Formats: sequence, C-alpha cells, structure tokens
Amino acid sequence: MLTEREILSTLEMLRSENLDVRTVTLGVSLFDCVSDDPGRFIERVRAKIGRLAGDFVDVCEEVGQRYGIPIVNKRLSVSPVAAAAGGFSAEQMVAIAEGLDEIAGRLRCDFLGGFSALVEKGFARGDRALIEAIPEALARTSRLCSSVNVASTAAGINMDAVALMGRTVRAAAGRTADRDGIGCAKLVVFANIPQDVPFMAGAYLGVGEPDAVVNVGVSGPGVVRKAIDRARAADPGLDLGALSEIIKRTAFKVTRVGELIGRRVAARLDVPFGVADLSLAPTPNPGDSVGEIFRSLGLESIGAPGSTAVLAMLNDAVKKGGIFASSHVGGLSGAFIPVSEDLSIAEAARTGRLSLEKLEALTSVCSVGLDMVAIPGDTSAETIGAIIADEMAIGVVNSKSTAARLIPVPGKKAGDRVSFGGLLGDATIMPVPGGGSGGFVALGGRIPAPVHSFKN
Amino acid sequence: MKTAVFVVGPDRPGIIAAVTRSLFEQGCNLEDVSQTVLQGQFVGIFVVAVPAGAAGEALGRALRERLDPLGLSVHLREVAAGAPPPAAAERYVITTVGPDRPGLVAGISGLLAEFGANITNLKAIARGRREGTEYVTYYEVDLPGAADGSAFRSALRARAAELGLDVNIQHREIFEQVHRV
Repeated sequence: MLTEREILSTLEMLRSENLDVRTVTLGVSLFDCVSDDPGRFIERVRAKIGRLAGDFVDVCEEVGQRYGIPIVNKRLSVSPVAAAAGGFSAEQMVAIAEGLDEIAGRLRCDFLGGFSALVEKGFARGDRALIEAIPEALARTSRLCSSVNVASTAAGINMDAVALMGRTVRAAAGRTADRDGIGCAKLVVFANIPQDVPFMAGAYLGVGEPDAVVNVGVSGPGVVRKAIDRARAADPGLDLGALSEIIKRTAFKVTRVGELIGRRVAARLDVPFGVADLSLAPTPNPGDSVGEIFRSLGLESIGAPGSTAVLAMLNDAVKKGGIFASSHVGGLSGAFIPVSEDLSIAEAARTGRLSLEKLEALTSVCSVGLDMVAIPGDTSAETIGAIIADEMAIGVVNSKSTAARLIPVPGKKAGDRVSFGGLLGDATIMPVPGGGSGGFVALGGRIPAPVHSFKN
Repeated sequence: MKTAVFVVGPDRPGIIAAVTRSLFEQGCNLEDVSQTVLQGQFVGIFVVAVPAGAAGEALGRALRERLDPLGLSVHLREVAAGAPPPAAAERYVITTVGPDRPGLVAGISGLLAEFGANITNLKAIARGRREGTEYVTYYEVDLPGAADGSAFRSALRARAAELGLDVNIQHREIFEQVHRV
C-alpha cells in the first residue's frame, strides 16, 4: 500500500513541475552498412534502421502514455559518419546527410545525431570530407545534428581542427543566414565527447557501443527548483548542506523515472538498455529552467557572483542522486546551461548580468560548455576558434566533457534578438570580448596532453 | 471451510484481543486479517479456517457474547476456499484534487466501473471539511489488460472535468520506482 506522503509528493512532482523524459535516443551502429557507393550505403542504413526502429516512435508514445510520463523527443544516434562512410567525398557526405535526414523524418524522429568526426589527434580522409560537408549538410537538412571532437585529456587539443571548426561554424551560419544561422544550433565542438550521449547536438553512437542501444535523457530542472522552493518555504533556516541533500534526493527520483521508461522502451524494441543521462536539461517553457534554480538558491540571477559555486553544488548533487538511482548512468549527466534554451539564462544574457566570460567560468564546473550562445555575425573565424580552444582547455585539463555550440548570427550584432523556435528558443546576442587571437590560432599543431593524463 | 468475520463499531482498546480470543477458543485458525479505523469507527475483517464439523452458528454466538458488551456488531459469511487467480491488469494510481461537494467519489467510481476497473484501495487524503475546500482522493485501480488505456484516460479526464476536479493518472510502477529502493 502506498503512503499518503508518497502519493502527494509524486503527485506534486508530476502535476506542476514539468517532469518528463526529455529524450529516448536509439543508437544504431552503421558499421555493417559500409559500402563503396553512397546510394547503397544509405539503402542499407534505411533497411537497418527500419528493421530496428520501424515502430520506435509508436513504442515511445505507447510507453509514455502507459506510464503517464511524456517522452518529449524521440531521437536516433548513429556511428560517426566520418568513420562509417570514410571513403566518400564531401559532396557524397552531403547526400548521405540528406538520406539520414529523410530516414529520421520518415520514422517521425525529432533528431538524428552522428554526422560526426573524432579528430582529437588528427584527421583521416573521411573526417576532412565530413567537416567540409557540414555547412551544406546542415543547411539542407532539418533533423540532422553534427558533432566534432577536437580534443581529449589523453590526446590534447588538435588546434588545426579547432581553427577548421572556427571556419566551419562561420560557414554553417552563412549557409543558413536566412534563418539566423540555425545550422550552428545543430553543430557542436567537443572535448572528451562521451560515446553514449542521448542529448543533441552531441549524440552519436560510439565505437565501443552495442549494435543497437537505447539511451535515455531525463529532464526536470522544474522539479528540482520546486523541491528547493517548497523546502525553503517550510523551513527558511535551511543551509546549503541541507539544500544540496534536497537536490540529490530529487535527482534520484527523476532518474528512477527516466530509467524505468528507458528500460521499458528498450525491452519493447528488444535492444539493450544503455544509460540514463541524468542531465538537468531546460526548455524555453516557463517553470522548466536551470537559471531559476540559481534564484531559488538566493542569487538575483545566474551570472551574479556566487553563480559558479551554486552550479558546482547543483551539478554535484545531481550526479550523486542519479548515481544511486541507476547503475548505468552516462552521457553528460549534469546541469545544462544552454543560453537560448532557458528563459532565465536568456534573460540574464539580455540584461548583461551574464557575460560570455562568466559563462566560460561556469562551464568549468558543469557538464556542458558554451551552449547555444548567439554571438555577433561579424565575429571572425579566428576568434570563434580561440573561444573553442579556451573551452576545450577547460575540458582537457579537468578530465571532463565540455563543448561549444556558438551561433554567429549573420547580419546581427550584440544586443539584437534572435529566435530559433521550438526547444532551441530565443536569445539576445552576447558581446564577444575584444582583442585579436588570430596569431595564436594560426600556429596550428597540437597542444600536448596535460601531465595528469598519464595515469597508467 | 473458511469463514469471513466482519466486526464493526466504535474503536477502543481490546477489540482485536476479544475477537481473536473467541476465534482461538472455537478452534479456528486465523489466516488473514485487516483492520481500518476511520473517524473513530473500527472495521475489521478476519478470514478463518473453521475446524471440520464445527457449526457456524456456534462461532457467531461466541463472538457476539464477547463483542456485544463492547458495542460491536458481528457478521459472518462463508467464503470459497481458494481466492481466484488475479486477472492480467495494469495497475494505476488515480488522484483527484478539487473543491469538495457531494457525488465526487460516486462520479469517479462510476466511470471506473464502466471500464471494468477494480478499485483495490481507496482513501481520502485531504478531506475538505467544508463545501468548496480542497478534497484529495486517491484510488488504486486494476484496469483489465484488455481495456483501452487511452480511452480510459480520456474518459476519466472528461469525467473529472465535469466534477470540477484535477485528475492525475499514474502507473503504479512510477510510484514504486521513485519511493522504494
């Protein structure tokens, strides 16, 4: 028999706090689809994904409805295309991107990730072709997401790749200039990219993963915030130790729900369950914001002094709760701070309370990086490369994942508004600090792996 | 042979002691028992195995002799030996929240009956003492596996809306996952 307390607390969690499963992501390996002909490659991919995931979206909806927990996004992730289709030219890579996009559309999946390359130590032929194809591929598709890993703690930072990605980001913005550079919203540059992220734009299926696997991404910043608010209303004397305990317990509950849903979907599709990614992923909806958690913990806004300490505590509490909830956690598993996708963070950027520099500091203690940051359209490729390099350094030295998803919005300047729609939200363009970085970025080569990478 | 013994009346110390003493003296073995107290009223159900050849009337008489002075009523009923195996069902927890008024539980439970859903547990958590104050009721329900879950949900939402209630329908597994390690 359920107790009254159990019923009321779960009821609150589901009734007014936006608990949902953000994404169920089905990873599919493409390595057995390899071909010397792009048409045949796509045909094999279509057949394989159709066989594995023909009813994927229906199953997700059915499971979501059965449990009364909405699954907001149904997504696919595939092996890094640069490796699975390594023999093709950039033009052929674009055709493959269109084919993958069409497959995702036909299956009614929201996104497909894995138009990706891993180049932390250097480029293979397929990597160069894929990166060259990214701007065109993102312009011609709507569901496709692309990620490029340019650094790792073990390998250091591939500065040639960093410079190339600076140019690629600008080109992707240019090719989607009529839509505020939305191509860049589906392109992320990573350090230490995990092999099992269910979230976009960094989702791809790693080489060490099963042939097919279900990874689930939970959500729930609104749940955490309400739990803090309720606890503080009941006992205004609670200190940060007590509040971190509340966040931890809440993260535990959210993760349990997410894992249950993920496991049920996996069982129905007859593929293994992989991981629960217990990230706090906001949406642009009111009450579903990570930024609001900062306010609940006594800051006027995210970006105010104290923000880094709050985020460090939040990230750690989320991980501790989630790790107890599930034996298989993975992906990014921490707090997300995507500027345009979070009402409260977008507002802090608009009013100038949150600067790019403070955002960078925040990324050293959370699980993502400079995420969905709109910057002036005239920001140079070298400056974008240098911002990426700084972000990569934070990830490499701290042995953690970090990423940059920057959108230089064509024709717009700092302070202008930009709207991407849907989960991508709206933002105000943030100023980029002055000073040239061109000479540094042009040096190229590889920044060596840090001394504490040698753990063997 | 099994007998279900129902005991009803004002709660007080010693009711269970009195009932079980009588059952023991009559040679009955207590197989299952459950009691509830609501607003000072005690209800207990005792399922007992009665020894072969024992008369039901004798058991009833013995119980009444002991329980009448305590102001308790007793009712006996023979039950079939084996409980029927549970049918395949989806288990839901339904919570309704809204201003109190007559007919809320009748309205919701009527709909549950239409769908063949069996209420396995029912409780008023927050009891709106006055007309218009919040009333929270929760139902644990077994919905037959053959029933259309989605039609059930939408019909339940519609019925709750007619009654001015917020309704939340949750699969029981969600509760268990969240609260039990």
